[in-house]
Amino acid sequence: MPELSSSTTEATPGHLGGGGFEITADNFGWHHAERPLPALSGLDLHIPAGQKVLLLGPSGAGKSTLLHALAGVLEIDERQQATGKLQIQRRDAFARSFPVGLMQQDPETQIVQSRVGDDVAFGAENLGMAPELIRARIPEVLRAVGLGNLDLSHRTQELSGGQKQRLALAGILAMGPGLMLLDEPTANIDPSGIAPLRDAVIAAANATGATLLVVEHRLQAWAEHVDRVLVLAPGGGIAHDLEPRALFENEKIRRELARAGIWIPGYVPHTEPLHSREGAELLAAVNLRAARHPQAVRTAEINLRLRAGQALVIRGENGAGKSTLALTLGGLLEPATGSVEASSDLADGLSPQPFSWRAGALVARIGSVFQEPEHQFVTQSVREELAFAPTRARQAGVENEKYAPAQIALRVEELLDRLGLAHLGEANPFTLSGGEKRRLSVATVLAASPDVLILDEPTFGQDANTWLELANILIEALESGITVVAVTHDEDFAHALNAAQIVMTREEPDAKPAAVRQGPMLDAPLGDSWLAKINPLAKLGAIAAATLPLISTIDWVSACVVILATLFALPLAGLRLGTFMRRGWPLIVAGALAAWGIALVGEDSGETLLSLGILSITEGSVSAGVATGLRTLALAVPTVLLLSSTNPSDLGGALAQQLKVPHRFVLGALAGMRLLGLLVEEFTTLTLARRARGVGDLRSPTQRVKAKLGQVLALLVQALRRAGRLAVTMEAKGFGTGTRTWVRSVSFTWRDGAVLATGVLLGTVAIGAALWAGTFNLVWS
Amino acid sequence: MNVAPATNRASWRVVDIVVASVIAVASGVIFWAWNAGYGLVSLAFVAFPPASAFVSGMWLFPAVLGALIIRKPGAALYCEILAAVISALLGSQWGLAVLFSGLIQGLGAEVVFAAVRYRRWNLPVALLAGFMSGIFGGIGEAYLLGYFAEYTEAMKLFHVVAMGISGLVIAGLLSWLATRALAKTGALGALASRSAHLEGSLRSA
Repeated sequence: MPELSSSTTEATPGHLGGGGFEITADNFGWHHAERPLPALSGLDLHIPAGQKVLLLGPSGAGKSTLLHALAGVLEIDERQQATGKLQIQRRDAFARSFPVGLMQQDPETQIVQSRVGDDVAFGAENLGMAPELIRARIPEVLRAVGLGNLDLSHRTQELSGGQKQRLALAGILAMGPGLMLLDEPTANIDPSGIAPLRDAVIAAANATGATLLVVEHRLQAWAEHVDRVLVLAPGGGIAHDLEPRALFENEKIRRELARAGIWIPGYVPHTEPLHSREGAELLAAVNLRAARHPQAVRTAEINLRLRAGQALVIRGENGAGKSTLALTLGGLLEPATGSVEASSDLADGLSPQPFSWRAGALVARIGSVFQEPEHQFVTQSVREELAFAPTRARQAGVENEKYAPAQIALRVEELLDRLGLAHLGEANPFTLSGGEKRRLSVATVLAASPDVLILDEPTFGQDANTWLELANILIEALESGITVVAVTHDEDFAHALNAAQIVMTREEPDAKPAAVRQGPMLDAPLGDSWLAKINPLAKLGAIAAATLPLISTIDWVSACVVILATLFALPLAGLRLGTFMRRGWPLIVAGALAAWGIALVGEDSGETLLSLGILSITEGSVSAGVATGLRTLALAVPTVLLLSSTNPSDLGGALAQQLKVPHRFVLGALAGMRLLGLLVEEFTTLTLARRARGVGDLRSPTQRVKAKLGQVLALLVQALRRAGRLAVTMEAKGFGTGTRTWVRSVSFTWRDGAVLATGVLLGTVAIGAALWAGTFNLVWS
Repeated sequence: MNVAPATNRASWRVVDIVVASVIAVASGVIFWAWNAGYGLVSLAFVAFPPASAFVSGMWLFPAVLGALIIRKPGAALYCEILAAVISALLGSQWGLAVLFSGLIQGLGAEVVFAAVRYRRWNLPVALLAGFMSGIFGGIGEAYLLGYFAEYTEAMKLFHVVAMGISGLVIAGLLSWLATRALAKTGALGALASRSAHLEGSLRSA
């Protein structure tokens, strides 16, 4: 195996190599709190430095636990303990004496910072490495993972899943670890991203000599590139210690691994034979273009006809709009142009446009299964989950219930049995295993017996056993005359369903892939205005000094001074008046609303203009209202100058470095803020996913409020899951352990001082003008 | 290393910081969704603007929810201030004064949790924290920031009380229910509130 000697490493300044770490486990075990059985026990293991190891085992064999233990992110406390010994370079792994890199499967939470350069530096900064050294390494490691063409200030949110994982790898390499741990790194990325990521990992391991441990259940990509294959036994210990060749040649091993749901190279699970006959036409797309929202990029024009019992697979490159098409066919998004037309058989008394149907009518006719099962869970138990859609299903128009309660109960029991979930009837759906969640999410939709079933990437990240169960459920559905449409890259799956396929191409090849485009953004690109180069704290201080004195008085003079000064300063932030008005209109509405409130219920004085029972609008209350409205506006508009010229990461850096705000909290906040766009996207998806479950036929206000609260709760669950994974990533990158360095230095120059002084001057002038004009009106008097 | 030192109860782990931050960010998303649909709600309040205080408990829930989930000193304050920072960054109509509002609202909830020495996380404490957060916030808006300086005295008092009630229901009751529901999903596994759903409404460890 290639291993660089340490002398080579030192001879090349800035070279990444530091050699590999040796791992030994001696009767090692770990018991998670709240679990009945230990995750690992009696593990004996020796991995020499620089070896590349593929780690396998059935789910629950403790693979992730072993990686987390080696990464030092398992927490020893009064509830959970390690047994035996686990050592890296002959030192206790829990002591974390050496930097170790860890990559998990969710690309979104492997990234910590909002800019590419900052994210690469994050781990190295936490280890306290010298800023010059890190700065030199950033371009080097980005080149090593094939991202050398990215600008250092590129938004990490705009990268694809595969690119995010490679960026995470770059961050790991910058830490110079002698051990890299990869926990299903390719499970959540598109197939086209797998080979580049794998190549980057192997090349990095070869170049640095680092020891490599990869957990993966799709072996095809890795089997030929590793030195050794370890199979963990479910009860504890190592079941097999193999040459990679055995994965191709040893039939006994292959059968055993296949039974455990592992995707051994060249293996396709054996599905039931499919005998379907196509029936009447159910659904057609006519000159259809789909789009996420009216301003979003549209798909190419689609024409297709779907018959009962037919299977169709939607394929195509990233950003072609496959999921958007699926959502539109499913009656969840309105067609941008053209139409989706249900036949009279399918519409069953309703208009032909599925988008116009109420949720209860929709679930009885077209069912949609989302990529993330948790997005569609709406109740607290598996049993309720299965009963939910049939209870809401409506047929022959929208008033008639499709099922009587007794029928529903029967159906739920039948589904529980068939899915092997009978013992989990009362369990909370969120606590199921990944495969169980996937099966449940399909079953909950099938429970209302829709005529058309639409699935988005149903086999993504699934092990071979879940894959097989899923394929068999769908084969049975096809045979019973249900139409199945699936967005998938999985050719074996398409083959098992005997599916026709359409391949979508990107309509605007140059348009950026569907990154988050709607909703709020905290780190929009700033341009290079004069104010963008000013120290964020100077700007913050200036705006505080200019606006906060206004709190003391309610008068139109001081407010107008600040508003006018802001308008004159707009060019410094690179803003035109038109842009400003487009951004600032909610502020103006808020000002007007505040003015109206005071006019209505403020102290009355002077002539009465309008009398509304006990309330009256008088000359005095109107002028007080106008002053209050202007003051509201004057407090708010200057912040536009700060927002449009400041990246939150820079503000955070300045707060931590210059104001000594605790960096753990500043960086934790920034890492959380990076997830904002993602959570907004998830909230929108949840709206669709819940309609697809039959939530939305809500008549009474109480039902509506309950449904919204349910959606908020679902968002919080997703937020907490991401937060947990993000925390592991940050801990593995040495966050919060010691003194850290900062690659971005913050300076305070005379220009920054001038900006601050201008703010102070403006605040003084505003109050002075009010005093001079005699309008000053102290709030607290 | 066998027994966690007693100070651990008060000190923040990485996961506590990240979860608190993400709760505040998710609150920002909820504020945003609320604002997007706020047009309708606020139209209803155009007739009588002070009534909007009845829904202002909405802005207070990060404080109580954050504290009930993280169960650490400062959690209410941190979550509420960060939620305020995020709404300021997204373009708050109140400018930098929103940071002061966040501070004082968070403080209102924090004093309640501090008063029970960060040992009780039950329903009465949650309700009181939501209520105090509303009262503090109401006093801040009506008397310190002077948003309603020109209101009659009776109207100012109405605002403070209405905000307290709104805080009690939206921030207090809903946060407590949400924490229990979240604990049931297993999403709080790494946190001190992991078994909140098993605690009675009057008792908590």
